[in-house]
Amino acid sequence: MQIVQTDVVIVGGGGAGLRAAIAVAEADPDLNVSLISKVVPMRSHTVAAEGGSAGVVQTEDSLDSHFYDTVAGGDWLCEQPVVDYFVANCTREMVQLEHWGCPWSRKDDGDINVRNFGGMSTARTWFAADKSGFHILHTLFQTSLKYASVHRFDEFFCLDLIVVDGRCQGIVAIEVATGEFFRFEARAVIFATGGAGRVYPCNTNAGISTGDGMGIAFRHGVALRDMEFVQYHPTALPGSGLLMTEGCRGEGGYLVNKDGYRYLQDYGLGPVDPSPRPKAMELGPRDKVSQAFWHEDRQGRTLETPLGTAVHLDLRHLGRAKLLERLPMICEMAETFLGIDPAEAPIPVRPAVHYTMGGIWTDGDTATNLPGLFAAGECSSVGIHGANRLGSNSLAEIVVFGKVAGEQAARAARAAPAIDARATTHEAEASMQSALALLGQDGDQRLADLRDTMQTAMENGVGIYRSAEGMQTACQTLEKVRNDYSRVRLDDKSRAFNTEWLTVIELGFTLDVARAMAYSALQRTESRGAHQRLDGYEKRDDEHFLKHSLAYAVADAPPRIDYEGVVITKLPPAERVYGGMARQEGH
Amino acid sequence: MATHDEIEIEVLRYHPETDSEPSYRTYRVPFAHETSVLQGLQYIKDRLDGSLTFRWSCRMAICGSCGMMINGVPNLTCSAFLREYHPGKLRIEPLAHLPIERDLAVDQTDFLEKLASIQPYIIPAESKAVDEGPFTQTPAQRERFYQYSECINCLLCYAACPQYGLDSGFLGPAALALLHRYNSDSRDVGKADRMPIVNAQEGVWACTLVGYCSEVCPKGVDPASAVNRNKVISTLDYFFRFMAPRGASE
Amino acid sequence: MAVRRPYVRPMAGWWRRNPFYIFYMLREATSVFVALYALQLLYGLYTLAVGEAAFDAWLVSLRHPLFLVFHGVALAAALLHAFTWFNVAPKAMPVLYLGSHRVADRTLVWAQYLIFAVISVAILGVVLGG
Repeated sequence: MQIVQTDVVIVGGGGAGLRAAIAVAEADPDLNVSLISKVVPMRSHTVAAEGGSAGVVQTEDSLDSHFYDTVAGGDWLCEQPVVDYFVANCTREMVQLEHWGCPWSRKDDGDINVRNFGGMSTARTWFAADKSGFHILHTLFQTSLKYASVHRFDEFFCLDLIVVDGRCQGIVAIEVATGEFFRFEARAVIFATGGAGRVYPCNTNAGISTGDGMGIAFRHGVALRDMEFVQYHPTALPGSGLLMTEGCRGEGGYLVNKDGYRYLQDYGLGPVDPSPRPKAMELGPRDKVSQAFWHEDRQGRTLETPLGTAVHLDLRHLGRAKLLERLPMICEMAETFLGIDPAEAPIPVRPAVHYTMGGIWTDGDTATNLPGLFAAGECSSVGIHGANRLGSNSLAEIVVFGKVAGEQAARAARAAPAIDARATTHEAEASMQSALALLGQDGDQRLADLRDTMQTAMENGVGIYRSAEGMQTACQTLEKVRNDYSRVRLDDKSRAFNTEWLTVIELGFTLDVARAMAYSALQRTESRGAHQRLDGYEKRDDEHFLKHSLAYAVADAPPRIDYEGVVITKLPPAERVYGGMARQEGH
Repeated sequence: MATHDEIEIEVLRYHPETDSEPSYRTYRVPFAHETSVLQGLQYIKDRLDGSLTFRWSCRMAICGSCGMMINGVPNLTCSAFLREYHPGKLRIEPLAHLPIERDLAVDQTDFLEKLASIQPYIIPAESKAVDEGPFTQTPAQRERFYQYSECINCLLCYAACPQYGLDSGFLGPAALALLHRYNSDSRDVGKADRMPIVNAQEGVWACTLVGYCSEVCPKGVDPASAVNRNKVISTLDYFFRFMAPRGASE
Repeated sequence: MAVRRPYVRPMAGWWRRNPFYIFYMLREATSVFVALYALQLLYGLYTLAVGEAAFDAWLVSLRHPLFLVFHGVALAAALLHAFTWFNVAPKAMPVLYLGSHRVADRTLVWAQYLIFAVISVAILGVVLGG
């Protein structure tokens, strides 16, 4: 095993990880940063974000309004002091990205342009056409090359944390190209490993979004918070789940059922206006828009397509010129994957899993309950998304809290005690042996079958609408998959670039994340945000469940689900109102 | 997926631990209308041979992971479809001109080093505090560089460039396109720092304008235009330095 | 322990692998004919300096069938060279704007043909008129 001694390890080279790396380098250039990513950073899933990133800029807009939209959008399950910090720092980070070269779309006078987004009271979503995530990621990656103290370990797969004396002291990683094990000794570790959309069969996520960081932290006793809240994005392509950005609706696109009817008006989101009204109709929040699809589908008002039922995302009235300016990638994708010109024909779409609101529990400073471990971005639950994330809050989150994580980790690294090399060696050896055992094990289970079984169980049991029966079935299937996991037989027993081996390790993480989601969901006997039940718990129950769920790993048993209160400082719980009655301002 | 037909996929295999050179292996893969070449490879890995090695991630032609040679042409496998090759067969190879790490995965480190060498970040005239707000940049100013900022680093252009294949010292299409992207940005004044890279033997002058890089670019970046515009810029730069040895490069 | 052992493929015969490369080589090969034609023209100038008899002999030699074939090939090569250059010229030019609209590459290519045609007609006019 090779040893790398460093000050701060950052796992994940997406937006949050890169922003954290830059923050460490700027806080203290003497700290050695090891940026570990299982893919070359610009392949990270941040690249696929399309619509944009929130930040209050318009004179008629306010931080209070962004705060209100976020907390109400999250069905009051948000940590209000953290949301306060978040909205106060979004714009700053957007400007910082601009200074680093991000090609934000502009108004004619050269000022930043913003667009409408679902659940937001006014236009405050900064965008770079419909490739916002792509440009943010490449801007951060290329900017990170300026900092000599940031050392990249591209295509290094993080296998485990090294925890000694209750303190995180590094990680174990596998160099993909060789299959060699590396022990990184570090005084602070940041997880920025992204989401876990791959828990589900039809998702908008990249293949790498397998919840590695969540799974690893969970196994070390770190709490996974609010895991039952899984966001379905309402407009993805049937079959593949490829994302058609909410920006389509932000620019004025319609959702219509098979009768050409804008059905969202039947789900408390009306009235129908000729031009987009914030927080109404197609600009409703994602949970409600996806739920409306479910009802339309049940009532037979969706279209049959070869890859499943769908509704139409109609952009024709926007005109080709606007589509090419604002939504060029959507046009390109519709052409490539469907053979459709959105200026001429509507795009068939249906909901697909998009985002994990929950994640590794952190405080407002991104510290987890494991000393020395920090988490930022989608893998974390810092507390801003609650039960339903608003579109364009996650790109803002990765930079706002990526920066915090970097600064906090830098501080922690300077204050950390010396590393116990002997104990870390011992821990790392154990991780290595268990990974090698997976490589060598004999059995009768095929990796792809286990993955498919897990994904189908989650879609069927822990989908847009849930019932105890369905969730229990899902939990049982997950336990069975967990048992079968020890009997997976790999075709590939070699070490160099063995992606089958790495995939089976990932599946282990994903499976733990799935279990945390399913058990957390089963025990939340209310409906809130993205967690909607059909079995007598259709209402929000603030008395019992204005609480975060906390899933803890238990050896050889289902996760233990605990709860903690929500910190409410400014905005007491109230009804979520969208459509014509929605509050447009936060005052 | 609704399966209609089968297609033969021939894949170049190379394992660094056991093989002295690559060899082909053939698989039969069922496909439907919407099955991408990438999904064909995933089918092989899931069902037929778990040892087949390739990179992929986003599935929507933006992450740049899954570039390969399909019947000799560099392409993103996620946005090429098996139906386009039926009833013929496919031959899939790793991106040309790049060393093979294993099977269809190539070694990308050379490009990553080249990218780092061009100073791919804004070098501002004077440092501006975040509190001072964003730079003003009109849509017209943005358009001067935007096309070049759309490079997804998929390396198809390197697989298309025989000059790079013959001499990997050449900085290559994508790195030069990104260099031009920063030089053309109204917020950047780093051109003088980057001109030695443009002027060098391994810079634009190693390009013989084959033009295939722009042909295969999946994002319309047109790296050939970046490289060749910089030949003009390099010539002017030389001329002005010749005329006024202590003068600026503009 | 595993080590990296990247395999570098040989480049021999690269230009035959792709029709695009074959055409590229053809484009590059046109320069040979253009150069030979230029040498031949230079020789003509030389004979003019030597004297009338030498120049007349050169003119006679041009009528030889082999020379006619050579001229045909050289003309084809020059045209191909011009055609490929017209196509790539927009890549080497600074981006042109008409108002706020960028002039498309294709427009620039056609503009060159137009200029080419105008100049050709003008020269023809001078030659035939003179």
